[in-house]
Amino acid sequence: MTQTPLLHLDRVSIRHDGAARATPDDVTFDVAPGEVVLILGPSGCGKSTLALALDGLIPHAVPATLDGTVRVAGLDTAEHPVGALSAHVAMVFQDPDAQVVTGTLLDEVCFGPENQLLPADEVLARGEQALRRVGLWERRSENPDRLSGGGRQRLAIACALAMASPVLVLDEPTANLDPAGIDEVYAVLRELARDDQHAIVLVEHNLDQAVDLIDRVVVLDGDGHVVVDGPAREVLAGRARELLDHGVWLPVSTLAAIRLADAGVPIEPLPLTPTELAAALDAVPELPAPLTDAAPVRASTRNPRPQVAARAAASDGPAIRARGLDVRRGGKRGPVVVRDVTLDVERGEFLAIVGTNGAGKTTLLQALAGVVVPPPGTVDVLGLDPARTDARTLARSIGFVFQNPEHQFLAHTVADELDHGLRVQGVPEAERTPRVTEMLERFGLSGHREQHPFLLSGGQKRRLSVGTALIAGAPVLALDEPTFGQDRERAAELLGMLADLNAAGTTVIVVTHDLQLVADYATRVAVMRDGRILGHGPTGAVLAGPLIDEAGLRHPPLARATRALARHPEWHGVSRIAQLPVATPGRAGGVRPTGPEASDRIGATR
Amino acid sequence: MSATSANPTGTAAPAAAPGHDDGLGTASAGRRGRGEGVRIDPFAPKPPAPAWRFLHHLNPLAKVAAPLPVMLLLIFTRGIAIPLAFIVLVVALLLVGARLSGRVTAAIVVGLPVVIALMGVSFGLWVDASRIDQGSPAASVVLLEIGDWRFTLAAYLVGLATSLRIAALLALALLSGLTTSGPDLVRSMVQQLRVPYRIGYTALAAFRFVPRFGHELEVIRQAHRVRGTDAGRGPVAGLRRSIGYAVPLLASAIRHAERIALAMDARAFGAHATRTERYLVPWRARDTVFVLAFWAVAIALYWWGISSGVGALTTSRTEITA
Repeated sequence: MTQTPLLHLDRVSIRHDGAARATPDDVTFDVAPGEVVLILGPSGCGKSTLALALDGLIPHAVPATLDGTVRVAGLDTAEHPVGALSAHVAMVFQDPDAQVVTGTLLDEVCFGPENQLLPADEVLARGEQALRRVGLWERRSENPDRLSGGGRQRLAIACALAMASPVLVLDEPTANLDPAGIDEVYAVLRELARDDQHAIVLVEHNLDQAVDLIDRVVVLDGDGHVVVDGPAREVLAGRARELLDHGVWLPVSTLAAIRLADAGVPIEPLPLTPTELAAALDAVPELPAPLTDAAPVRASTRNPRPQVAARAAASDGPAIRARGLDVRRGGKRGPVVVRDVTLDVERGEFLAIVGTNGAGKTTLLQALAGVVVPPPGTVDVLGLDPARTDARTLARSIGFVFQNPEHQFLAHTVADELDHGLRVQGVPEAERTPRVTEMLERFGLSGHREQHPFLLSGGQKRRLSVGTALIAGAPVLALDEPTFGQDRERAAELLGMLADLNAAGTTVIVVTHDLQLVADYATRVAVMRDGRILGHGPTGAVLAGPLIDEAGLRHPPLARATRALARHPEWHGVSRIAQLPVATPGRAGGVRPTGPEASDRIGATR
Repeated sequence: MSATSANPTGTAAPAAAPGHDDGLGTASAGRRGRGEGVRIDPFAPKPPAPAWRFLHHLNPLAKVAAPLPVMLLLIFTRGIAIPLAFIVLVVALLLVGARLSGRVTAAIVVGLPVVIALMGVSFGLWVDASRIDQGSPAASVVLLEIGDWRFTLAAYLVGLATSLRIAALLALALLSGLTTSGPDLVRSMVQQLRVPYRIGYTALAAFRFVPRFGHELEVIRQAHRVRGTDAGRGPVAGLRRSIGYAVPLLASAIRHAERIALAMDARAFGAHATRTERYLVPWRARDTVFVLAFWAVAIALYWWGISSGVGALTTSRTEITA
């Protein structure tokens, strides 16, 4: 290509003020017109920081030092203000709420062109064109708050399009969205990628959605160095194992194929999408039987629905029992958001409550945990009725973790934060200190004892919030969308911790919309729609059955692949990576982990 | 918030600089889909008011400029007649010239007099009886007597005058408050008063924070309640609780403001000295006429009030002539 690149990065290193090292570090690449480039890398490698540097927000608006040069359409970003660069590069950020400035959709798309001092009629023309492209023109006079998360993110894309810049940079645009919103955004992006008018730079961890529209992948390692830069398929499929070693997430279908290949199933080349995985599996004349969850060894029977082991004796009675539970939002006159829910949560269970936005999942969880008061006599938590029990007593039975851990912090040091939970229980001081110390060790926070909770890293904050919920001795832990807004690595780290707690006997209930995580960790799933429970059962059975479709959800990628299999009906119920056959020692080079838990980590926690 | 609002560049703190690498802070917001949790919508589009509701068709600044001198004068006004006359004038203007909902009409026509009467009693109770002119006929009319203490009509009238002054100030503020949208006021300030648009439009963006923070505060209270913090009662425990809410709310507010600031910068906000205005809020002859007419009426009312002795202007803070 003889054209000047739209973006040109030459040995770019960025160090945030106060950070010890530069991430990204020494990054060089170009972006040509019409290209769709995906930037990949493990958490903390500086992907988002790099995105901010592409239109001059670094170094102009964020306190960070930039070494090397970033050229946007030939302009050095260090020497031109963000306003001037915005004519060449438009940005879409992660949080759809934190991008809205005005009161109507039309004003919002016009905001950028107005700032560029275009004549009013051209501003309107651009606004209309941009809104039409994302399918929001009909709603132009509405307040952006009335849109769903996916709608607001589409609006943010329209705002970027209205800038008429040849480069579009999207920084984790779907991390805060539910599956329906993610689909909406990708439908728009796919459309944009097709017309070749825009170069798109995408920072995204949701590879399963992104993989079919990207041309090229730039991979950063944990230190922020570029390790791979090449065509998408060549990199993701051809160098999959190498990426895995760098801690980079791969599409679920690719991960599943790697595990199968290790177990001796010949899959070459590696698939990137569920459709490709299904095709590859159907091309294999004979597949080994999938594993059951109860006995993670080769199943002797051809049981398509692996049963989940009942972990605790049922004789204790359920941990939580709800009977005919109705919950209204906002007082007695508010709308009913949970209707007639009857549900038992057994002791030692890992229950996931899933459903689309507005299905009432969070409200149900809050009512079960007494965060919103359920009608008396409808809920029983280990013998307590949350409607009649004060928060302090209830805290000994059930701990609740809010979406944003910061919301729960009320002390000035990490140790104090844990101590508070014991203090309100009236535990004598002599007993409190050892219990706090034990909890700090359990959650890997011993080194941060005297630190302010707000100064912890994201993962540490989350661990502390789980610790505070458990310190009063609660055997039940409820978490509201714990993986929201986090990348897959952090999400898997958290779910891994919950699985450990669960294995040690804690009953765990999560509300989430990430069905692959549900498939990989939950023992049971309850599916909600319009405030009602459509059904619940063991994870494998629910994911193999019709409930997911009925609730308006999409099957997780692995289930989508296995459901499409024509040749191997016994595989139709396979939805979790742990059900895939495991490499036996000495086979496939023997380099992959061999135990079921270790191989699970390939799929789930890497 | 204000620092970030006024100058979006260069205020981001290192903690939030890597964007969302901590994955937090944005959490509660995404769930508020489809307007849930947004109780106030200052931007909700309203259908255009009919032509004869003239207050809606005036420049927002005219509706501020007309009553402003009167509001200043009212602070120094004593007596019942003048504030009362202005209340009647403004209520009449509003009823004719503004499109009001049934609730607002009821509040103005019924609620306002009731509040004035009640406030009159409570102010009257605080009047120093020794400073009331004992010779006046009202001083001998006793409304309430408890032991030695008497609540006289004269004291009530002093209280009523104070309460009417406050009500008149409020009513004058409603003249623009009920008929002007925030965005229009900002636009006219930018267009006519030459307020820098960077300040005006940032203030407008900050307006959007209010419902968001209301929602966030509710979640924080819930979160703290769950941890068993509502053990204490009384004002001290209440104050401590509120301080406890402040830290997470501020942390999230600052982070939110920084993100908004980045999003605005990325869309060329502040790149040029001016920006295109699609909505012109012109100053027309009718605005001049309205302001001058309002002032003329105000002067006439004062002249009448002072010359007939039912009202007075004073700079004394303790003058209590009823």
